Amino acid sequence: MIEIDRTKCAYCGACVGVCPAMALRLRDIYVEVYNDKCTSCGACVRACPMNAIELKK
Amino acid sequence: MVVGAGPAGSSAAKHAAEGGASVLLVDRKKEFGVPVRCGEGVGSHWLKELGISISDRSVCARIKGAKLVSPDLKSSVTISTPETMGYVLDRKVFDRELAIDAARAGAETALKTEVVGVTKNNGKVTGAILEYDGKKTEVKSKILIAADGGESLVARMAGINTLATLYDSDFGVEYEMANVECEGLIEIYFGKSWAPRGYAWVFPKGEDVANVGVGIGGMEKPNAIHYLNKFLELDRFKKAQPVALKAGIIPVGAPCRQLVADGLMVVGTSAHQVDPIHGGGICLAIDAGNIAGKVAAKCVGEGKSDAKALSEYEKTWRSAREKKLLRRLLLRKVLEELNDDDYNAAIGCLNDADVGKLLDGNYAPVAGKVLTARPQLLRALKALLTSSETGRTL
Ligand SMILES: Cc1cc2nc3c(=O)[nH]c(=O)nc-3n(C[C@H](O)[C@H](O)[C@H](O)COP(=O)(O)OP(=O)(O)OC[C@H]3O[C@@H](n4cnc5c(N)ncnc54)[C@H](O)[C@@H]3O)c2cc1C
Repeated sequence: MIEIDRTKCAYCGACVGVCPAMALRLRDIYVEVYNDKCTSCGACVRACPMNAIELKK
Repeated sequence: MVVGAGPAGSSAAKHAAEGGASVLLVDRKKEFGVPVRCGEGVGSHWLKELGISISDRSVCARIKGAKLVSPDLKSSVTISTPETMGYVLDRKVFDRELAIDAARAGAETALKTEVVGVTKNNGKVTGAILEYDGKKTEVKSKILIAADGGESLVARMAGINTLATLYDSDFGVEYEMANVECEGLIEIYFGKSWAPRGYAWVFPKGEDVANVGVGIGGMEKPNAIHYLNKFLELDRFKKAQPVALKAGIIPVGAPCRQLVADGLMVVGTSAHQVDPIHGGGICLAIDAGNIAGKVAAKCVGEGKSDAKALSEYEKTWRSAREKKLLRRLLLRKVLEELNDDDYNAAIGCLNDADVGKLLDGNYAPVAGKVLTARPQLLRALKALLTSSETGRTL
């Protein structure tokens, strides 16, 4: 599971591009997370230029 | 149908429409070109090689060269070769103009329209599910062109692997800033402390405005914004004030292995068609879009949309561009291995003509100079000189 801090997010879609599970989707001004698909691999956490994503237990 | 009204999608839409196909160009944005996720620089060499012209209106600043700065900030070399001359664009204007061209050629355009799924029949892509105004509608297509940029979900929904790995991606963030004194040069800062496996940049946008950013390799920690904040602590940016924030992913590995499937083409950054040296993808996106659009129109005219017919795009593109990109990828891999001392020594001893040669793949004449200054660079030079992809000199 991940959580995106919307106050930090720049809606750039970098996390979407690296998510192997296709668990993220860029909408107009936010990123939608499908945590049921998330495998907690952490790629998005590393990718996020804004440091806006955290892995959650 | 074309998904994504960036440089790749609008160019594909334009050429497909000009070739007689009926084209729908969709983008989730409510304003094509906005928000910008780009440093907005384009090099003259790509413009010339790809035959791309740009309007005066979309140019913010003309760039007369590049200044490469060593990690310790003590030395720099300014180079004015076709590789480093060019323009900094206003992508908002630039992308809008490309979309206008597509519409003038006859393409229909749809704003605020997102592709949320792809429909298939017997393995062939037959259309897309569009979400507009809170409603989902299925729209049929003879050919679906995925030009959805770094997110690149559309091709993946159709079964082509365009996933960007951390290893083969850069992650960038930049501020457009006022009160930055510039000399009409782009500035590139190398070094682990500024931007590990990438670089920090200043791209002038006219007068005292500039895009100031960093791009780092995807395996690096912490995140890009950390490095940007650190870069902005330099005295040079004391008065700088941000007026816009732009970020994004840049797939800098090799282009994707598969660019077409039955009923589907992938173009631009979604197909990882990006220059691995500087991460520039605007010109390559336009070029790929042009080729794909023409082939799409031809195929629609002939009533074909199978992968074999569409592969004319893939073949044409690969034979024209891929070799050069792979050669530049090799140079990138070598540059990535260099440490700060290597950069300090190299930038300290090279002049503008030397760097031009390196970028052209002409490594041998520069080797002696570099090795005298820093014998440790032998391994890197060997890697370049012994590779089969070293280009024209060997
Ligand atoms: C920080 C940064 C700096 C950069 N600096 C430079 C530079 O200086 N010079 C350079 O040449 N390149 C630069 N690039 C790269 C450049 O931005 C891209 O290569 C270029 O925009 C690629 O064009 P494209 O048409 O392939 O994709 P994009 O321009 O990304 O366009 C894709 C479009 O598809 C839309 N879209 C995506 N998914 C969907 C969907 N499901 N449904 C509907 N619409 C969708 C998006 O809204 C977008 O408009 C930079 C990139 C970044 C991140």
